[in-house]
Amino acid sequence: MDIFNALLHGFAQAITVSNLLWCLVGCALGTAVGVLPGIGPAVAVAMLLPITGKVDVTASMIFFAGIYYGAMYGGSTTSILLNTPGETASMVTAMEGNKMAKSGRAGAALATAAIGSFVAGTIATVIVTLFAPYVADFAVKLGPPEYFMLMLLAFTTVSAVLGKSTLRGMTALFIGLAVGCVGLDQISGQGRYVGNIPELLDGIEIVLVAVGLFAVAEVLYAVLFEGRVVESQNRLSRVHMTPRDWKRSIGAWLRGTAIGTPFGCIPAGGTEIPTFLSYAAEKKLVRDPQDKAEFGTTGAIEGVAGPEAANNATVTAALIPLLTLGIPTSNTTAILLGAFQNYGIQPGPQLFTTSAALVWALIASLYIGNVMLLVLNLPMVGLWVKLLKIPKPQLYAGILIFATVGAYGMRQSAFDLFLLYAIGVLGVIMRRFDFPTAPVVVGMILGPLAEAQLRNALSIGEGSPIVFLQRPMSLALIIIVLAVLILPRVAKRMSERKLARLQQLDA
Amino acid sequence: MNTTTGTQPAPARGGNWPQTLVGLGVLLTGLGLGWGAMGISSDAGYSGIGPNFFPWMCAIVLTICGGWILWEARTGGFREMDEEGAPADPPYWTGFVWVSAGLLLNAALITSLGFILSCALCYLLAVQGLRRANGQPIANAPRTWITDVLIGLAISAPVFWAFTKFLAINLPGLTDSGWL
Repeated sequence: MDIFNALLHGFAQAITVSNLLWCLVGCALGTAVGVLPGIGPAVAVAMLLPITGKVDVTASMIFFAGIYYGAMYGGSTTSILLNTPGETASMVTAMEGNKMAKSGRAGAALATAAIGSFVAGTIATVIVTLFAPYVADFAVKLGPPEYFMLMLLAFTTVSAVLGKSTLRGMTALFIGLAVGCVGLDQISGQGRYVGNIPELLDGIEIVLVAVGLFAVAEVLYAVLFEGRVVESQNRLSRVHMTPRDWKRSIGAWLRGTAIGTPFGCIPAGGTEIPTFLSYAAEKKLVRDPQDKAEFGTTGAIEGVAGPEAANNATVTAALIPLLTLGIPTSNTTAILLGAFQNYGIQPGPQLFTTSAALVWALIASLYIGNVMLLVLNLPMVGLWVKLLKIPKPQLYAGILIFATVGAYGMRQSAFDLFLLYAIGVLGVIMRRFDFPTAPVVVGMILGPLAEAQLRNALSIGEGSPIVFLQRPMSLALIIIVLAVLILPRVAKRMSERKLARLQQLDA
Repeated sequence: MNTTTGTQPAPARGGNWPQTLVGLGVLLTGLGLGWGAMGISSDAGYSGIGPNFFPWMCAIVLTICGGWILWEARTGGFREMDEEGAPADPPYWTGFVWVSAGLLLNAALITSLGFILSCALCYLLAVQGLRRANGQPIANAPRTWITDVLIGLAISAPVFWAFTKFLAINLPGLTDSGWL
């Protein structure tokens, strides 16, 4: 009952005229950045981080959550109508969705994606509502050793498991951790890697790194390599689903939600795994031979409905580790954490007691945002598709203006703009040579927190690392980290061996 | 990055120069971090590790990663690399110079020219570079230049007003009027 009351209070806070307006603007902006190639939710939130200096915390968190959410809806529109998915989250949607659009069923694909996102988003929000307070209650019992191990788990999954190459993932992570070291050490107050540049004493702003790596690098990469890439756009048909489409979609939505939610809850991040799993599950579960034949040919609606639901469920549930443990598992949640930090709020188990009003208003705004997005995306999809008509040169050059606002507005320092360019060049090199960028952002934001937890944990153990083995939770987490590192490799080795044996038999 | 990039698949034996440079870059970053870490105090307190522990850890891991990347680059190229996703055309450096000029001039001039003019200049140079990358013959036409200047102003001026007037974020102006 407590939760219900708290949620009602949250709604009361969220349904003020100004907060509703922030939510609406956030959702619309989020849909727009999701639809537009070149910018995603992480960079949109990062560019707007300077507003944290002036706007009230509840309003700005509702606004940022709207962007975060809206981008997921908008992203599916682009991946269905264009050949290029905007981000990894909508890669799977693009596989079947694009085929459906090519065979004249773009409308049905867009509808099942939007309604599926709504269903999954709402169910996952209910789960956040019900479970986050319990996770927070539990998390209060965790000490520095456990926190450090949880962060280690997040680092491991984001760098070693999600990318293609562990080596390049680790390199990216440690570059992020090194960037996080720049500035004053938070325990001793000593300057690190500041040289004679006073600007570096405050550390390097998240905005700079995120905007540099994602926006500026995107523009530089486009001018270097993608100038002549021609994109074909599929025709938009009427957004409508037949009763048979509904029948095929509902199961897929629910299964996608069931697959996506747990992946969001664990501090292991990434939407790639749940969306691919959901796609594989749908492909396997189809009984009707006619429907089965649609997979990979004319496009099967289950292949859009399932992954799209899984994606939204993961993204929503990822708020649980963010709000209760203070552990971000993606670029965007890492930057949301940065937004909280700008207000001097550290998300974690205490957040539900110290900032209860804020948390519940944020959760209430998720329910409201989902409804708004359904309305924004179903009847008004034609409007968003018009955004795809903006020519690339003008769009990318325009992005640079917004990048300047984000980078300069934070500290009013022209030095930051030079740094922004340097980070952009770094981003181009990383992208060209297939280094993942998420570990840089996560490492940079989580690094200083992990360092503090490590030093506190070792202080508890009076300087001895045995402390990590003496506490059951921390020991369990060490085992999980090792399992995450070892099991996928063993499985790969085994399947390679099996394949080799089969090939031998064939020969 | 300035030699021919990996347009051809890496040769089975021998090195891949751009990748080698990336490896060297990471290696040097690691060594540089180590050099910087020497100047950080090791005063450990109760925990047994001081403010220099994380910097040293980053330095050592990045040095190892750099060495490893270098080894991969010299022995047939990066492993587990998706060559399908790699761009087929050689990089278009002219466009890169245009966009870089826009960004760097913006950084250099923003405090003296003010946000609106400086960003419009950045937009103009960037869009010109992107148009050239796109192979648009109209990029050089006077009409295109004028349109680009006007669009640059039409984006940067409302952005300036929205952020300074509504959100009270400080952005530099040319005058003290708050409108330019």
